[in-house]
Amino acid sequence: MASTSISKAEKSYIQAGLLANPPRRADGRSLHDFRVISLETGFAPLSNGSAHLSIGRNPHNGSGGTDIMASVKLEVESIEEDASDGGRIVCNVSCSPSAYPHLTSGALDDLQYDLTTVLHQTLSHPSLHPKNLSIIPRKKSWLLNLDLLVTADAGNIYDALFMAARAALWDTKVPRTRSVEYKSPKSLSSASGDMDVDQDTTSGFDTRKVAHATDFELPDYWDEGEILEGRERWPVAITLNLVKTIHFLDATLQEEASCASRLLVVHSYESPTSPTVQSMRMLGSEELSILHLKNLIKEAESHTNTMFSSLTAKLEDEDFRRNQKARERFGKRR
Amino acid sequence: MFEFTSFRQPADDYFVNNVEDVDMDVDDEDLFETDGMNLTWPGKSLTSAQEYMRGHGTYVDNEEVIASVSGLVERVNKLITVRAVRTRYNPEVGDLVVGRITEVQPRRWKVDGNSRQDAVLMLSSVNLPGGVQRRKVESDELQMRSFFEEGDLLVAEVQAFFGDGTMSLHTRSLSYGKLRNGQLVTVPPILIRRLKSHFISLPCGVDLILGLNGYIWVSKHIKENEREGEEAFDAEAVYSNRNDVIDDSTRLAISRVTNLINVLASRSIPLTDTVLLDAYDWSLEQEGDVKDLLQEDAGDALVATILAKG
Repeated sequence: MASTSISKAEKSYIQAGLLANPPRRADGRSLHDFRVISLETGFAPLSNGSAHLSIGRNPHNGSGGTDIMASVKLEVESIEEDASDGGRIVCNVSCSPSAYPHLTSGALDDLQYDLTTVLHQTLSHPSLHPKNLSIIPRKKSWLLNLDLLVTADAGNIYDALFMAARAALWDTKVPRTRSVEYKSPKSLSSASGDMDVDQDTTSGFDTRKVAHATDFELPDYWDEGEILEGRERWPVAITLNLVKTIHFLDATLQEEASCASRLLVVHSYESPTSPTVQSMRMLGSEELSILHLKNLIKEAESHTNTMFSSLTAKLEDEDFRRNQKARERFGKRR
Repeated sequence: MFEFTSFRQPADDYFVNNVEDVDMDVDDEDLFETDGMNLTWPGKSLTSAQEYMRGHGTYVDNEEVIASVSGLVERVNKLITVRAVRTRYNPEVGDLVVGRITEVQPRRWKVDGNSRQDAVLMLSSVNLPGGVQRRKVESDELQMRSFFEEGDLLVAEVQAFFGDGTMSLHTRSLSYGKLRNGQLVTVPPILIRRLKSHFISLPCGVDLILGLNGYIWVSKHIKENEREGEEAFDAEAVYSNRNDVIDDSTRLAISRVTNLINVLASRSIPLTDTVLLDAYDWSLEQEGDVKDLLQEDAGDALVATILAKG
């Protein structure tokens, strides 16, 4: 994302390679190949959900690559009079200065703000809102803070951010709560002698009764909670880097500096066959005709489809691995 | 198209010492001297401060000289220094470096050379079009960007140092100047040894320029007789930004060499022409694409082959 310095000769070398037949990229990948993606969920035990993701990391010494850490923390919020009920989601992206050594602190703030805006506007949209963030209706709800930290940037930052966000939200567990109602002492003392059953018991079918719950408690302090609802819906993003008539995926920093414009498309898959476009952005200085744009969106959908299924398979693997590990540890203690 | 892996976890017994080690009487000196090289790590006490003076990479504490970086201990008469393994490029006069222009200033350019400070390239240190011996004119100062502009890559030699340690570069040779027809690879500077010639020609049609500062330029081979002669020192050609037409096999070879350099660098193998030639021959024998060289098992096999050859 930061403007990498590149010479005109390098730029035309990269562009000529992309437009050649067959297309050639600097490291031998094809136009639609991604670098290897490393993913780990639950690396932060104190958070409600977390994920560590890296694109293009060197497997031997861990150097290089785009590195993102995502973490979800739930806090209890008292609902104001006219604010929305049912919880809310706030996303924040921060960029470590060591990831962008050539940027001044002002430019770094601008970059953080841009990335935060894209993520927050997409992920806090009502169509993606999970249904189990309410604690006491109209009184208390969960505020979901999703924080992403960029520790290294080697290109393709948007795809990485959205994948990390999806992984962290997939991993999020909402603590189970139980509403608590306080009864004043008067009503207890009057229930003596002849018990009028009808007065004291409340029928489940009686919908006139207004909820008097004013507070809540955690029935089991050590319980991690239930899975955040709607985790199939969290979207994935693909950035199509555009050079003349062709597009390519997962650009390195030099490749990003060599193409004048990029198209970011974010898809959500409630069910595998019905994708919805959650968000779209054009980055860069060139124009796109509507026809070209339509074709690109179709291509983007086929790419996000593959990305979505691969990512979900990996997330399920991670869940399984962690359950296995927990079981092994428990077995050792016995 | 999408490949997901995990972060490499240390093995379960990685952090647990064997019970026997705890009781062992550890003699630091003997334990870590390998092949006569005296390796040290931060915090290790080297010698008494009474007898020796401390140099770079060390500090004095409690009348002992203690290393502050990981590296090799060097002793010159009464001076002890530690030469760090992981460090920025330390230039010497006469070194060949590949640099990138960061700024254009009056009568000079600032060049990023992977060192602690940007190097300086004076206008009087470059060859001006119209003959190697042409003196600079007022108008040259006003059109410096027609020679080098921000972002350009060049190969130059270290001429001298300024008082504060900044390198001063020059490109006063026909083999130096602006770089084109290829791509840049960055490796740690310590892996580039000082060789007789840093211009290497591989048989696959790929030229390499091993800058001592860790910047390596991998490009299409230019035949000797096609290089500009002294009479025909044409600015159009030398300072041009236009690449030649590069065919597919050369492009593939350049990508292959780039990946090999990255693999060797990540495993800390010093780069010389023989190492690269062996690596290239080995990679041609392998099945799979150029991009598969970046996988862990391919790297392991490559390193085993290189080290076996000595």
